[in-house]
Amino acid sequence: MKLDLHCEMILDEYRAKLPVFEQLKTVVLSQLHRCLDEHNLLVSGLEARIKTETSLSGKLELKGYKYHTLDDITDILGARIITFYSDEVDLISALVEKLFEIDWENSVDKRKMLETDRFGYLSLHYVCRIPRKLYNDPSMPELNQIRFELQMRSTLQHVWANMYHDMGYKSEVEIPVEYQRNMSRLAGMLELVDEQFSRIRREITDYRRNVQSLVASGNFNEVPLNGDTFRSYLELKPFHRLAQKIASINQAELYEDSLMPYFKVFYLLGMKTIGDIQNLRNKYSEGAYQLALLQLAGTGLDIVACSVAIQNLCIVAILKQGFGEAGLQRLFGLVYGESDYNAQRAHRVFEQAQKINLIQ
Amino acid sequence: METIINNESGKTLVVLKGRIDTTNADQFQQDIAPLMEGEHPDIEIDCSEMTYTSSQGLRIFLLLQKSVNARGGKMVLRKMNPQVKEVFDITGFSNIITIL
Repeated sequence: MKLDLHCEMILDEYRAKLPVFEQLKTVVLSQLHRCLDEHNLLVSGLEARIKTETSLSGKLELKGYKYHTLDDITDILGARIITFYSDEVDLISALVEKLFEIDWENSVDKRKMLETDRFGYLSLHYVCRIPRKLYNDPSMPELNQIRFELQMRSTLQHVWANMYHDMGYKSEVEIPVEYQRNMSRLAGMLELVDEQFSRIRREITDYRRNVQSLVASGNFNEVPLNGDTFRSYLELKPFHRLAQKIASINQAELYEDSLMPYFKVFYLLGMKTIGDIQNLRNKYSEGAYQLALLQLAGTGLDIVACSVAIQNLCIVAILKQGFGEAGLQRLFGLVYGESDYNAQRAHRVFEQAQKINLIQ
Repeated sequence: METIINNESGKTLVVLKGRIDTTNADQFQQDIAPLMEGEHPDIEIDCSEMTYTSSQGLRIFLLLQKSVNARGGKMVLRKMNPQVKEVFDITGFSNIITIL
């Protein structure tokens, strides 16, 4: 590719400044990672690249006349944040505005550029600089003067843009007319899907908030049993008193472990509401304690996991409902996974339960 | 109490022999200390020749499990005899530690 003298000078400037761009890339990525972490934001992707010499040469060959110096080209360093949901793009952009200095004149919101009856590329592009108060390296003062481009878009917007790019087109007008319509239809469909995902997430968040307040109100019979309600119920530590009583057998330390594996046990036991679990707890706590007493007394074991309480409650409920040894084996399989130990354990626990008259 | 540690293709294999109790729990903790910071976070422990563990042993297994988890690895205890398994079961440690 043959470039004119002016473009060759810009290329020379690019080669000389490559170490600064490398450092800028490191700073941009680390600042963005830090910012996202601080705000507990998970994104689908965070990436950056420096334009290659070949790519820059191509750009200069096409429109080198537009640029006086390398500083006029704002995408030598390009970074991109890919969010999971389309409505997170605005949230991320608000954080970016606080973090970096934004060159508003050259920034563009492609989401607002399309006519209401058109579908296509949706992305937010900011042209930014690193402010000195954020990062200042006296040996590299030009780092704060160089502009870079930051693109923000959702995963589905990213998918569409990537496919489009993969076909080798840089702009919509390059696409043969017969394919333009199909690409637009796909863009419209992905926009709808994006919107639905955001909507579902908002609704689930609202649902979880409602569940938390319903559980906290104590009207357990009105709370249907599902993963969310069970998690909220566990926050009230409903099995803690029984666990403490069991720990007191050997003056043991209580270790808090996860009780979530028991959700599926209650579900399979036919519990429909949190109230059903509460009733089971009230009904079988004494039996669960008696079983622990038989197993732990005299062993000197002075550490027990909180799950012992819920485990023994389930054992007693299964035996009282007449599911016998097979029911216990199923319980252990559900909680600990299928293993040869489960049959032996079920047999041993069944024998212990017989000794204290837990068998129905 | 004997602890044998081997590294094989990115995984640490440990063989435990005998009892872990108050008389040797400190020694056991020292023996497995290298596993708390080793390069191979995936640990498989053969318990077929382990005859008993006290609460101290359980606490050490718990420490090791936390350390392995923090490094993104997995710890599995295998071939445990029924007497030792019962200690894990009645204390609820079967809910915390993977026993295959």
